[in-house]
Amino acid sequence: MRSMIQRYAFRSIWLMPVFLLFLMGCNVEHPFVKKVAFKDSLSISIEFAGEPDADWATDPDNYRIYEKRDPDVLLVISEVILGPDKRSVLIKFDEEINQAEPHVIALTPIHSQGKDLGTALLNVKRLYIGELFAILIGAMLINNYVFTKYLGLCVFFGTSKKRDTAVGMGITFTIVMVASAMMSWFLYQFVLKPFELDFLQVVVFIGMVSLSVQAVDTVLRKVNPALFKAFGVYLVLVIANCIILAVPLTLADNEYSAMESLMLALGAGTGFLLALFLMSSAGERLELADIPPTYRGLPIAFVTAGLFALAFMGFSGLVIF
Amino acid sequence: MAATKKSNKELVINGIFLENPIFRLALSMCPAVGLTTSIKNGLLLGSAVLFVQICSSCTIAAIKNIIHPRIRIPTYTLTIATWVTVIDLVLAAYVPAAYEEMGIFVKLIVAFAIITMRLETFACKNTISASFWDGLGMGIGFMFGMVSIGFVRELLGAGTILGYDILGFKPLLFFVLPAAGFFCVGIMMALFNYIEGVYNRLKERKQ
Amino acid sequence: MKEIIRITIGLTLSCFLAAMIMGAVFVVTDKTKKQNEYNKTQATMLGLLGYGKENPATEELKFYPVYRYIVEEDGETYLGYMVPVKASDYEAYEFLILDLEGRLVQRFTLDISLEKAIDDSDRQKILKETLKPETAFAYQDQTIVACLRDKRVAYLLPGEFTGFKTFIEVMLALDPRFDIIGLEIVEHEEDPGLGAEIEQDYFKNQFKDKSFERLKNLTVVKEPLPDVFRRYLEDPDTLSAKELEDIRNQYLDKDIYSLTGATISSRAVTNGVKNMVKRFAYRIKILDEVIAGHQIPAVI
Repeated sequence: MRSMIQRYAFRSIWLMPVFLLFLMGCNVEHPFVKKVAFKDSLSISIEFAGEPDADWATDPDNYRIYEKRDPDVLLVISEVILGPDKRSVLIKFDEEINQAEPHVIALTPIHSQGKDLGTALLNVKRLYIGELFAILIGAMLINNYVFTKYLGLCVFFGTSKKRDTAVGMGITFTIVMVASAMMSWFLYQFVLKPFELDFLQVVVFIGMVSLSVQAVDTVLRKVNPALFKAFGVYLVLVIANCIILAVPLTLADNEYSAMESLMLALGAGTGFLLALFLMSSAGERLELADIPPTYRGLPIAFVTAGLFALAFMGFSGLVIF
Repeated sequence: MAATKKSNKELVINGIFLENPIFRLALSMCPAVGLTTSIKNGLLLGSAVLFVQICSSCTIAAIKNIIHPRIRIPTYTLTIATWVTVIDLVLAAYVPAAYEEMGIFVKLIVAFAIITMRLETFACKNTISASFWDGLGMGIGFMFGMVSIGFVRELLGAGTILGYDILGFKPLLFFVLPAAGFFCVGIMMALFNYIEGVYNRLKERKQ
Repeated sequence: MKEIIRITIGLTLSCFLAAMIMGAVFVVTDKTKKQNEYNKTQATMLGLLGYGKENPATEELKFYPVYRYIVEEDGETYLGYMVPVKASDYEAYEFLILDLEGRLVQRFTLDISLEKAIDDSDRQKILKETLKPETAFAYQDQTIVACLRDKRVAYLLPGEFTGFKTFIEVMLALDPRFDIIGLEIVEHEEDPGLGAEIEQDYFKNQFKDKSFERLKNLTVVKEPLPDVFRRYLEDPDTLSAKELEDIRNQYLDKDIYSLTGATISSRAVTNGVKNMVKRFAYRIKILDEVIAGHQIPAVI
């Protein structure tokens, strides 16, 4: 069973670079400008396809920079430095720029080798893939749904005795999580929001969960009976899991896009899997330890979970991108 | 399980001690860990759960003969979800400050295993009045659990009870943090086990 | 087959019944919810300006909200301000469209009262009716101008910015020279005991009396809060008038003392407040010039 998963995992790794390239996208909308990006908290760099006129490139008045949501507030440029290759410029600011916000740079007609190449409107923002990755890691480690948000505990303690059950539960859960989260997102965006039926969130989302469980159940039965025998029993437990409802509620509250919802669901699922795995590894060793009678069973499991939660607190405040 | 033979009073006591949802049945532990940073939160969520439990139990007991056996679970889910939405809207409108503190947990009552379990094991086989008392017992048991954990955490973590400064200083800020929720629940469960052990031994000695 | 049909019909009916119940409860509770929100905002605003149970506000204190929109027409971006004006003997609104350089491009009269304009959907409706169909507009934020006997006494800025966890919603009170009168934390999701301390007096009162000039380069210092300053912030009644004056002058130009274990939250609030005030001061100046230059009968 494990080897089958490993095979699939290895095969899909080759898809990642293609996926990444697709998501990179381009931030540029002018043939003469090759790349524009945040350099650090005080500067933005622009790379041109050719050599702009030095006096045009270093004149701050030729650049109008503002945060996309505040087009009337122009940022104050302290200086513009031409790079040694004469094709790139570094725009420096006195005050820190908020890299979390998309910025817009409006260039007055570009002068290069005496020719006028027209104006340009450039979008600068952090790599979207970076933001997506941040959501994924956030849901998995920093805001781990079990140890930091204490959700999904009933099922957690029920299936964390042995490593195999734990991993099985975790994987099943991730699959159902992703499926139901995507369907919930779809319904929220196209049915609940336009018709102002927000108060039906709870019913609709839990309905989606039941449907996903039913769907995964049926699909698995037909497609891979062996897998179904291994996982089938956990599918029913998935419904009683608080996390499965918390994720759609979160993505509705924060108005995530489709990709962001996918990342959140994946992160929540893998975070749960990670928590289960850690807990079961500890649980197997606990069975051999000498525990006082009143603590046997759940009480000691809770204390162990508490220790894990303390450890996971170390992730809080971690900022990626 | 056939219809219960317990009296109403016994049902309530059953819910609070013998089959306490948090400490004995070990269901719905998420809020026990997450929302017990103060007694007030515990009380509020406890009352919300009480409301949903009683209403759902009574509803299911009332329509238990009309439910088709194959769609039992979806019916339970639908009933619980409806009542949860109702209490969610009511709380948001009439106690907004408290509702903010509880955050997502009110909506999550739908996923609490305790309510579904209770409907499955009790309400679908008993009369409305019996379900009402059982639901009451369960709800009070849940509230009792939440309040006791909340009491310990609030007193030791913030030095207050229900917002009133008792100790005048904060002994161990640690208790207000999430991780401590796990510790507290674990230790209190062990305590309950111990009390039960003592109670059983006393009962045996009496016999 | 018959069974499946029966099941489906049964389920659908139950769903409808459930939806009816929820819909009814929603309609009943929604009005109360909106009323609660309004009351809470009013109480916060009055509290910031120093009014309360012991010092109730008089009839002469009036709040006039100014709503800011971003308008897009023919590929060009403009700023739109809904400004309360005096029209014969009642108060209504005018919608002023300014270009990015601050010049008035268009003005419309909006037939909407001050009370109705508080609701976002009512504003949207009237703007849709008044503006050209191809014009796209999006609500940005609002400023509430507090006037006492027709003179501006304060600006109240509700704002929202990213905190350590998710968002922090604040209400800021500025005097006519953009010095801070007070700061109130309305909503946040920071950690209890750590970031949540931003709503305690000893943090948010540090912003009181900071001048506009000082605010421009205000930062956060990771030093412990001096005890005497803490007393000033939390229990000013226990100090004499002279002591209050001395402490106030001593700490007036200092930076904000960070919260223990919550540097990121402290920085988020400081930077958020800084940005809010700087942008507001820039915009209100332009708006005032337009109002004066075109003799718009604004009440503010």
